[in-house]
Amino acid sequence: MTPAAGPAGPAGTPRPGEEREPDARFTFANERTFLAWSRTALALVVGGLAVAQLLPPFPGVPAARHVIGIPLILLGAAVAVLSYAEWQANQRALRRGEPLRRSRLPLFLAGTIAVIALLAVALATLSAVTGRR
Amino acid sequence: MSSPGGTDDIEDMDPGLARARTELAWTRTAISFAAVGCALLRSHPAVGVPILALSPLIWKMGRLPGKRGTGHARTGQIRLITAVVTGVALAALVITLVTGW
Repeated sequence: MTPAAGPAGPAGTPRPGEEREPDARFTFANERTFLAWSRTALALVVGGLAVAQLLPPFPGVPAARHVIGIPLILLGAAVAVLSYAEWQANQRALRRGEPLRRSRLPLFLAGTIAVIALLAVALATLSAVTGRR
Repeated sequence: MSSPGGTDDIEDMDPGLARARTELAWTRTAISFAAVGCALLRSHPAVGVPILALSPLIWKMGRLPGKRGTGHARTGQIRLITAVVTGVALAALVITLVTGW
């Protein structure tokens, strides 16, 4: 989404250094993106809570549920804060008519979830080996 | 509010249906909060009830003023959602650290 490519703001594209209220459609789209990330953050928190509260204990590794669940909850908090920072940066870029920077949230989210998933596999394997006794 | 053809065009009143889509996004967010509140209702009612109570407030906050909406950035609402989601995360963290070991 580039401001210059879409419909112009109330009075055209701002000159460098100048700030103008962007087209309402861009402001709304930025708001919707923020809300979508907020729901993602909420889902991560609930996922972490569910792992820690609802899963049966891992035999032989009593702390395993917390080791998986707590990072998910922290990831949710991080996504909530980062999505606000991104909303703010996008809104500023829109006001100035600058191109929007590529979001780093998808990479951050995918990377962290992958690490947590590997951690879960490691803990499940450890539990299968040590919990048999 | 009539288009050149003489009919009331919904695209005229709400270009790209941006307003409608934004209000729907707020509705989805409110439903998400309701779901989280319900999930915590039985095990931790002290946390679940307030989250459930937030749901209709968030829905109300998402309604856009006026027929066209001003289109101004709604910084206050965005900050409030950030604070609430972070608060839910902290509550979940406390619940997890205190119970289930």
